[in-house]
Amino acid sequence: MLENILNGFSAIFAIGPILGIIAGVIVGITFGAIPGISAIMAIAIILPLTFYVDPIIGITMLLAVYKSGIYGGSISAILINTPGAAASFLTAKDGHALTKAGKSGKALDISLFSSVSGEMLATLVLILVAAPISAISLQAGPIEKVFVLLFAFTVIATMAGGSISRGLLSCTLGMMFAMVGLSTITGASRFTFGVTELMSGFTFTPMLIGVLVMPEVLNVIRRRKQTQGSMTITRSSNPADNRISLKEFKAVIGTILKSSGIGTFIGALPGLGSSTAAFMAYGEARRVSKKPDEYGKGSVEGIAAAESANNAVCGSSLIPMLTLSIPGDDVAALLMGAFLIHGLTPGPMIFFEHTETIYAIFAGFLITDLFLLAIAKSGFRFFVKLASLSRYYIFPCVTIFAFTGAFTAGQNMNDILILICFTVLGYGMRLVGLNPAIFIIGFILTPYLEQNLDQAIAIVGTDYHLFFASPFAWVFILLSVFFVSSNIWMKRRRQQPQSPSSLQEAKT
Amino acid sequence: MDRRKIDVVLATISIVVSVIILTNDSLVEGGVETELGSLFLPRIVAGLMIVFSAAMAIPSLLGLLRQAEQTDEEAISTTGFSGVFIYIGIFITYWLVVPYVGFLVATPFVMFSIAALLGGRKWLPIVLMSVITPLMVFYGSLHFLRVFLPTWTLS
Repeated sequence: MLENILNGFSAIFAIGPILGIIAGVIVGITFGAIPGISAIMAIAIILPLTFYVDPIIGITMLLAVYKSGIYGGSISAILINTPGAAASFLTAKDGHALTKAGKSGKALDISLFSSVSGEMLATLVLILVAAPISAISLQAGPIEKVFVLLFAFTVIATMAGGSISRGLLSCTLGMMFAMVGLSTITGASRFTFGVTELMSGFTFTPMLIGVLVMPEVLNVIRRRKQTQGSMTITRSSNPADNRISLKEFKAVIGTILKSSGIGTFIGALPGLGSSTAAFMAYGEARRVSKKPDEYGKGSVEGIAAAESANNAVCGSSLIPMLTLSIPGDDVAALLMGAFLIHGLTPGPMIFFEHTETIYAIFAGFLITDLFLLAIAKSGFRFFVKLASLSRYYIFPCVTIFAFTGAFTAGQNMNDILILICFTVLGYGMRLVGLNPAIFIIGFILTPYLEQNLDQAIAIVGTDYHLFFASPFAWVFILLSVFFVSSNIWMKRRRQQPQSPSSLQEAKT
Repeated sequence: MDRRKIDVVLATISIVVSVIILTNDSLVEGGVETELGSLFLPRIVAGLMIVFSAAMAIPSLLGLLRQAEQTDEEAISTTGFSGVFIYIGIFITYWLVVPYVGFLVATPFVMFSIAALLGGRKWLPIVLMSVITPLMVFYGSLHFLRVFLPTWTLS
């Protein structure tokens, strides 16, 4: 493994990949810092640009956009109290309180250092853990893979979002759309209604941009009459307020490590995501803190906990995707699509079929943190200025990038029609509480499910009990039952009215 | 807007479509015979869609029948929807026009319209952005990505 890692580093230290990482970091921070543009949106817009470059450059660039986009979200959270994602909500609480006290430099610094620390730790875990897990998952045949995929569908659909039925309906809708076109197993055309353009199914990139990116633009259009907050870095006359000192960093290093561990663990579990990680790490840090009262009112420790956990999810969410072909969250689903477009099929075989590429991507993922640290630290003012541009400059450009990105996939205008149709569908899904990210996960995983199901049926014939003969199958059945039942239990618990004693406790 | 009503309509459509998939064999054409057949998975998914649609619609329907008060989650604010329709209209027009007038001609108008829709009133920078960005995207795509965006075909 060490040799592979070293080979990976030697492949990444070339002009192309390094320029890709730098571009990815700049784009990621900028897009992440713009309120209304999330990391996932940035990746979807940049994705078509990577079609024409080597996978090492393209994928590392996308991963750089991902990492720095997640970090960039904390800039708007701290400066204008607008968290780009739910995961930055806690950062906004403490960070904006510091900004109001004239200590935005301190908040931005601790957010950057904790983000980078969390990401690095999770990336190291990814590098060290992914290959051994993939060696185990290689033992899985088609029957076991069917159960793994059913586990993925069930867990992701039930864990994400507010309603289990809506999550599962989003997933089945995605599965249904994935089955339009020629069946890869039988060669039959399904649900094409004689339209030849539908024979190849829905083109992934325009669909992705339509479902995930364009509804965000529509949201901004809808809120166009609301005033836009302007970002400024408040400066205190006391230099110590504008930066984080070594002593202050040392005081929170324990919190950062612990929160990074929580983030890494949560990220490796499919469906939980960065918000859960941030909330858990924040709660734990507050529980053991010597100054719990400061939390929510400008606590440096609070920012460190939330940001390190939130960013640690970036690396570890790739573990289930790369080892079991299960995208743990929406960004992982998007990245899985990017891997597929670049001819790399995520799953255990990737470590054996594309050893050099995957370790180069890992190396790139790791050194992205260093570039993020250097670029963000030296360019806070620049990024803040860029992200402060009025939305009437930003969103016309986003529209044109989305148009070009959708066109780039197949260089035909039908893809733009797909973009428009899925924009309307994606926006409609959001309005009625369906989850577009789960829709995409259902869309991506269905061909694998169908292929493995077909092979599994061919293996078992009419002896259907053989489906349950493998311990692997039972493990995933039990895991599915556990995740679903625990989620239902947690939701019921949340809905239960609080007892008078607990209300009294809360008041005191 | 009451989301519960939309839930009921959406679930009805979803159930009708699922029933069609479950009962209609002509939705698939050609292909070879396999153990499962081409409609096995679509029909399983259609069955699940009926279950999940019903699970989504029944509480909403009960709420409507009992005339229960709407929760915050169930209310869909329609404020600003006119802008959404205008934006979609601009995009559809863009899609229809680009094959004839080309990317470089159509895009500045689209960018300008969206900027105006978003409340932009600084005309000079908006015009400059609307002209420079398409030029950069067009020639960038052409030279770096080898993507040939549509050009003028009216002549």
